[in-house]
Amino acid sequence: MHFFKSKLQSDFSYKMKHPVIWPRAIILMDMNAFFASIEQMDRPKWRGKPVGVTNGRQGTCIITCSYEARAFGIKTGMRLREARLLCPDLIQCPSRPDRYAEVSSSIMEALSIITPDVEVFSVDEAFLDVTHCQNLHGTPEHMAHMVKQLVYNVSHLHCSVGVSGDKTTAKFAAKLHKPDGLTVIPPWESKQRLANVPVTELCGINKGIGGFLARYGVTRCGDMEKLPIGVLAKRFGNLGRRIWYMCQGADPEQVHVSVNSPKSIGHGKVMPPATIDREIILTYMKHMSDKVAARLRRHQFEAKRFFIGLRTQHYWIADKFSLSVPTDSVHDIMMLCRLLLDEYWNEEPLFQLQVTALSPSPANMQLEMFSETNDKQKRLHTALDQVNDRYGEFTLASARLLKRSEMPNVIAPGWKPFGHRKTI
Amino acid sequence: MKFSIERDLLLKPLQSLCGVVEKRQTLPILSNLLVKVEKDKLFLTSTDLEVEMHTSISVKGTDPGETSFSARKFLDICRTLPEGALIDVSKEASKVTIKSGKSRFSLTTLDPSEFPSVDAVEQGISFSIAQNTFRRLIEKTQFAMAQQDVRYYLNGLMLELSQKGLRCVATDGHRLAMCDGDVEIRTPEIKQVIVPRKAIIELGRLLDTTDDEIRVDVGTNHIHTVFGETTFTSKLIDGRFPDYQRVVPQGGNKIVIADKELLKQSLTRVSILSNEKYRGVRFTVSDGLLQVQAHNPDQEEAEEELSVDYTGGDLEIGFNVTYFIDVLNVIPTDKVQIVLLDSSSSCLIQEPGNEDCKYVVMPMRL
Repeated sequence: MHFFKSKLQSDFSYKMKHPVIWPRAIILMDMNAFFASIEQMDRPKWRGKPVGVTNGRQGTCIITCSYEARAFGIKTGMRLREARLLCPDLIQCPSRPDRYAEVSSSIMEALSIITPDVEVFSVDEAFLDVTHCQNLHGTPEHMAHMVKQLVYNVSHLHCSVGVSGDKTTAKFAAKLHKPDGLTVIPPWESKQRLANVPVTELCGINKGIGGFLARYGVTRCGDMEKLPIGVLAKRFGNLGRRIWYMCQGADPEQVHVSVNSPKSIGHGKVMPPATIDREIILTYMKHMSDKVAARLRRHQFEAKRFFIGLRTQHYWIADKFSLSVPTDSVHDIMMLCRLLLDEYWNEEPLFQLQVTALSPSPANMQLEMFSETNDKQKRLHTALDQVNDRYGEFTLASARLLKRSEMPNVIAPGWKPFGHRKTI
Repeated sequence: MKFSIERDLLLKPLQSLCGVVEKRQTLPILSNLLVKVEKDKLFLTSTDLEVEMHTSISVKGTDPGETSFSARKFLDICRTLPEGALIDVSKEASKVTIKSGKSRFSLTTLDPSEFPSVDAVEQGISFSIAQNTFRRLIEKTQFAMAQQDVRYYLNGLMLELSQKGLRCVATDGHRLAMCDGDVEIRTPEIKQVIVPRKAIIELGRLLDTTDDEIRVDVGTNHIHTVFGETTFTSKLIDGRFPDYQRVVPQGGNKIVIADKELLKQSLTRVSILSNEKYRGVRFTVSDGLLQVQAHNPDQEEAEEELSVDYTGGDLEIGFNVTYFIDVLNVIPTDKVQIVLLDSSSSCLIQEPGNEDCKYVVMPMRL
């Protein structure tokens, strides 16, 4: 905080020289090679060396890698074996999601010193709406410097920052100079700066939408102007309208500060290839059901409908099941899992499992007429959750879970430092 | 097969018959009508395998026979013909021809022997009931039936037949509606049957406001109603209805009497700013006053105050506002009585001084 106080005093003269107040000012902060940078920071001997992060020791897929590794052509998603061909000295590093979440949380929390309007976009990215802070802190460019300094002070890590008048252009700007970059595109230049950029380079325009646009002769953002907005609206609805504006440097999307209530809460896991042993499957089911139930309870949710799915080599054996009253108990979810196993599964070899609570709602809100609340079970869940919150997941668990999968937890792209998304 | 009929005589029964026909069918014949001509009578039947409706109409220029063709298309043709038009229907080979004035339509037919029939009604209890009485019972309770609940026995209306009369009860597990009708039923014991949701909605449409009597036969698996020329049969839901008596609250000591119309208007306005999904509103009662508040995730708020007849200490309780408005919609009197106990107990709503209809709503924790 001391750092900011001294900065603030000098802001006045700074502001006088740059009197322009942007109508909207958005900053995107993007951590550079986040997981790998944390590993290099924690292990000084790895600094300046190619590091590839994998999911545990057994993981064969590069989740992310350091800039030194990227120089060899190693990319996210590459197999470890392929990566070793490009760079024999690559250091394999098992991921530590808890540590990444910890660093991310401290960075995201610190960003709120600059503006309360922070949207945690992913574990290593955040949007800041600084429109209303221009009189307080100075120009958007100045605030971008503040973000970089602040992130470094908190984590000793570097980030790239993009500044513009809307989210899409800010994200595009941040990509231009990596690592440790800072790019400013004033809102009145956005349209012209994006004009020659292929539409598919913008965040949110995938190949499908890109293909649709190409059929209408729109390959670069500048081509969009010629296309009536109605064409996109008819095909993609509001998303289509947003894309039309996005390409012209005027993305109307707001910075979303609160986490929307969940559409679903689910966990899945890859099983040993071609599993047919019912007991092993039940253990995996219990493992995932327990995670889903505990997570529902942690955020005071319950759900009435569940998706239970088993993946064979080529297709899913899956269905959505309804309960008569909403639940947050592993017993009810396991009942549905057993139902799937008994009624749908014909001993096909299985590879993967998914258990998802659909449209969870706040627990115990609407009281039920015909179901007695099971106080004994409630007390058991409370005790279980308290022990596991304090000593770690599955410290206290049913005996079946002694045989659970050893594969480590994975940090999801949608991870958030608070709310139901704070899970690994 | 051949018959002639005036459009206006055919239209109303045809509309009722089409109510039974499901829009999407796996069995093609279920989208058809069974059409039979005998002497000067036309017999029409529609079914969805659960509900069956059968009616007869006097026709002219007949030639006996039987066939089956699309109910929806026949209705649409008749509906769009001008008023007073005369319709001639005749079957030739595998087609049926509909002629009126200068219009001509040819429809495909299916073998009438393939037309499924709902089984005959077993021996059971029979009684007569005035159309308006039955209609009133259904209107006052049907809104509380569950929709596609896994507790399938809630997706219908429970009819309780006893010497005391006919009682209808509907519940979806969050609210309950029950209403008693003064009907003479000769039965030594109390019998409960559950009529499926769809059949209740169709029956509600068929019943009119006259006091003409209809006959109702309740068997073990079917209910059968006879309205003059029309019969309506439905399968019953095979299941046990929950013990509804247990959930009708006893001993509520906080009795609020409010103006029904003003309360309904207040709730309707407040509901605009309630959470769209959960619809929770907060009721605060204090001596002579009822306050209703709602807010939504955008931090928008609504508040209403209403003078009520109440003394008995302060209480705050949450409700799904839709459940409350549904009840107020079927209460005919100027005043409504709301009996509360505490913030986690159900509430009893009824017309003041009338025990015939009772409504129970479970609260929400806000």
